[in-house]
Amino acid sequence: MQSKSKLAGALLGAALWLAAAAPAAGAAGLTPRQILDHVDDLFRGKSSQGLMTMTVVTKHWQRTLTMQWWSKGKDRSLVRILAPKKEAGTATLRVGNNVWNYLPKVKRVIKLPSSMMSGSWMGSHFTNDDLVKESRMADDYTFKITFQGVRDGREIIEITCRPKPDAAVVWGQVRVVVQAGDYLPLFMRYFDEDLHPARTMYFTNVGDLGGRRLPRTMKMVPQDKPGEYTLVTYQKMRFDLELADSVFSLRSLRD
Amino acid sequence: MNTLRVAWRNLWRNRRRTLVTLAAVSVCTLILTVIYCLMEGLMVGAVANTTNLSLGEVQVYAKGYRHDRSFYKALKDPGAILAAASAAGVGAAPRSYSFGLAALGAKSSGARLWGIDPAAERAAFDLYRHVAQGRFLGDRPEKAVVLGYKLAKSLEARVGSTLVVVVQAADGSLGNDLFKVVGILKSCGAAIDRNAALVHRADFAELLVSGGRIHEVALNSRGRMPLEKLRALAAAAAPGQEVTTWRVIMPAASDMLNVWDSMMWLFGLVFILAAALGLMNTMLMATFERIREFGIIRALGATTWRILADVTGEAMILSLLGTGLGALLGLAVSQYLVVHGLDMSSLAGSYSVGGLTFDPVWRATLSLRSFLEPVLLMFGVCLLASIYPAILAARLDPVRAINRV
Amino acid sequence: MIARLAWRSVWRNRRRTLITVLSIGFGLSFAIFFIAMGHGMYTKMISDAVRMQAGHITIEPRGYLEAPAVESYLKSPAELRAAVQRLAAVQRTKLLVLGQGIARTGSGTVGVALMGVEPSAEAITSPLARRIIKGRYLSDRDGPWVVIGKTLAERLGLRVGMKLVITTNNAAGELVDELCRVRGIFATGSEEIDGYFMQAPIAFARRVFGLPAGAATQLGVILASPDDQEAVLAKLRRLTAGQDLEVEPWQKILPQLASYIKLDEGSNYVFQGILIFLILFTIFNTILMSVMERQREFAMLQAIGTRPGQVMGQVFLETCFLGLIGCGLGMLGGAAAAGALQHWGLDLSSFYGGDITISGFAVDPRLRALLTPGIVLGMGAAVFAATLLLSLIPLRHAGRVNIVDQLR
Repeated sequence: MQSKSKLAGALLGAALWLAAAAPAAGAAGLTPRQILDHVDDLFRGKSSQGLMTMTVVTKHWQRTLTMQWWSKGKDRSLVRILAPKKEAGTATLRVGNNVWNYLPKVKRVIKLPSSMMSGSWMGSHFTNDDLVKESRMADDYTFKITFQGVRDGREIIEITCRPKPDAAVVWGQVRVVVQAGDYLPLFMRYFDEDLHPARTMYFTNVGDLGGRRLPRTMKMVPQDKPGEYTLVTYQKMRFDLELADSVFSLRSLRD
Repeated sequence: MNTLRVAWRNLWRNRRRTLVTLAAVSVCTLILTVIYCLMEGLMVGAVANTTNLSLGEVQVYAKGYRHDRSFYKALKDPGAILAAASAAGVGAAPRSYSFGLAALGAKSSGARLWGIDPAAERAAFDLYRHVAQGRFLGDRPEKAVVLGYKLAKSLEARVGSTLVVVVQAADGSLGNDLFKVVGILKSCGAAIDRNAALVHRADFAELLVSGGRIHEVALNSRGRMPLEKLRALAAAAAPGQEVTTWRVIMPAASDMLNVWDSMMWLFGLVFILAAALGLMNTMLMATFERIREFGIIRALGATTWRILADVTGEAMILSLLGTGLGALLGLAVSQYLVVHGLDMSSLAGSYSVGGLTFDPVWRATLSLRSFLEPVLLMFGVCLLASIYPAILAARLDPVRAINRV
Repeated sequence: MIARLAWRSVWRNRRRTLITVLSIGFGLSFAIFFIAMGHGMYTKMISDAVRMQAGHITIEPRGYLEAPAVESYLKSPAELRAAVQRLAAVQRTKLLVLGQGIARTGSGTVGVALMGVEPSAEAITSPLARRIIKGRYLSDRDGPWVVIGKTLAERLGLRVGMKLVITTNNAAGELVDELCRVRGIFATGSEEIDGYFMQAPIAFARRVFGLPAGAATQLGVILASPDDQEAVLAKLRRLTAGQDLEVEPWQKILPQLASYIKLDEGSNYVFQGILIFLILFTIFNTILMSVMERQREFAMLQAIGTRPGQVMGQVFLETCFLGLIGCGLGMLGGAAAAGALQHWGLDLSSFYGGDITISGFAVDPRLRALLTPGIVLGMGAAVFAATLLLSLIPLRHAGRVNIVDQLR
């Protein structure tokens, strides 16, 4: 299983949290650091809740899941599968560094061992790790703007991030491309240490959700598996709602 | 013919010398034969220990499966291979594999699931006899699982525990079900101990929505068929698939056996020398003692050739009788050791934590090579040892010979 | 008087003497060679395996063997280590931090065992250090640098100098990530080792697993000679009594290898036993034959008035001399042959080529004997004693000669 970037994970994880800060749209001349922080914060907040669909296409099968999620702060989240019927009721709870799965068919809760953290989540191209990891691009990388201007008919800003020498990241380089003006992310490409592209995360379908303007669809495309991808689309989102801690307990996992 | 009759009489004239010489020759031949059979038995036993448990002598996989163990690389026509094996009287077992998660209460651990055909496993392999607690899988699917002992330990599972098994099914969904632990294996080697979870193939197919996919067919003739022949048999029944032997899968074990083999060669050499020595000195002694006798005969008019002919005749009879007797005794003792063997378990005892997985009984193997080679060798040495000094003696001055004491 | 007669008699029939002496000599040589060879085989195999792990004896926290986990560790082993090092039979001690985790790169994820070692000490003893194929082994000055196996490097797409991230649960139960780089790549020939084990300087391993400075999960003891194991084991147990520690022999840590060696050793004993039987039989036969052939001579001696007792005495003394010479030659010959095998060794890999591993532990394909004075003197004395004893049986023949029959 491939390991996934912190940013991708943060974004997925962030999709489960509320964003408190509204994007500083229109603020011209943001520093690269500010741009990255802005991208990081796009999906974050004190708490969040929502509905999303995830489509996974692999060489051998294809699946679409509809899921409901809740999140609070940086380390609590709960995801429940609503459809398809075969898997409806399956849920994943994350509190701190621990992850549990509830399996409705056998009516049991299992705890994931740390050795499985790098394993794929629900068969997608994301990992369990991504639910757990929380970090900022700006902390682990040094960055500079490597391109500003028009490419493919769009005004974009390209920021190239290099991991700091001691940062525990597996990538050799990450390129973040955002729209000039509103700084909404267009795509992020991860390169291995030899600077070969390993995967790309595309952001599309910009729209309004939960009071914010953000890309509602994310597509993760692994470079070494042609034809495979995972597509996540957010249907509904609410940020900063009241969520009791008991929502994130093993008991509520079962229902 | 006349020579032989004379030789025969000569031999029995000095009964004690002949008997002692015969004893030396037969004991040396006996011991060398038994050693050869034991050595070969050691090698055969070592191979059997490696292959009989579950590895098999020959394995067939879909092309590329061994490289990435992709679940989707399944054998095209496993039935053909099984049929070919059955027709040749060779055991064969089909298996499917997948990685998954096994959980019991708060404990969970990665596991490697084996979807097996219990009846075929029992017929072809010995794994079913290595259950430390509980029992092996039954012939019918019953959502039962047998665990490797380290996996059981990390899950704190016992016979009767109910495990949750979670996998990524072939259609991408999260396959999961409850399995009851019916048995826990003894120590069977690192590969099995660490994470093996054996289930019935029907249960496996249901859990993984695998459509009955089979990843491996392992063939085992229990040493009856030469490895190359078995390999060819499998290759013919599975065109385009990957056919390997245990030596390729377990190069470590293969190397170990090669090391043993070459050490056996060295051992054998030492034994041959020791046996030849034992035989030679008796023959030499016997013949040299008779120099005086030869001298008298020469003095009485016998020619060198006469003496040589006599001695050769005697040597022939002695060698034949001696090695023949030794061979017969060797055959008897070896056969006993083939059937009963030597029980080595008292030696391997105290440090086998987790139980012994190999047969502690060391059996000899009787084969054409392990029998004929030592016998023929000893026969040759015997002849040489008796004729050479005779040649010396025959050419001696009779007077000198007579005066030897 | 009898002695002088015996001595002269020995040299009178040179051929017979030669044959007898050579029988004893060669037989003894074979026995010594064989036993030394067997001794060498096991010592080497055990030595390689234990040097790669924790040593002949391992001191670890109580319960560690049953449930190895980084949470249980030796907090301050320095004092204990000094005490152990003082024992004469101990060649070297080593501190180890052993734990498991996941190694990640952009190309993949693999479960690994991380072994924190003291590089300068390990470089001398570890078979891993001797099998570096790219880059170099660790040095004490290295920080977050690791050596990995060839198979692991392939799976993770790593070359010397490239980075990888180790993820694991540390001693406090927290999930941690640590960056490190590849210092060297080793190839032992065993996929199990080459695809699973990583070595790092112990300080880095402590950092990864969250252990305090100076701590270790195991204190390994390497002995100068494995024969001292029982004695040292007892001493160490007394030394650590009352502390929450366990002192285990390598057989408990590596039970599979131990079983294999026991079985192999057992077969070796059987072979040795049969060989010695063969040799003794040969000697017996030789003496018997010799006595039988000399019936006439004994008859003559008795005819001229020598008492049967004196005849037997003379023959016995002859046997003594023959035995001494034979055993002397045998000890020299056996020691020389075994010594040669010990010094030059026999390269078994020339039979089959390539590296050899057993039970996952790489083995030097050079077969060497291990000769000890005990083997030479022990076997020499044993064969001499056996020769004398065996000679007693045919001796009775020497006494009970029918003079008339013989002198006819």
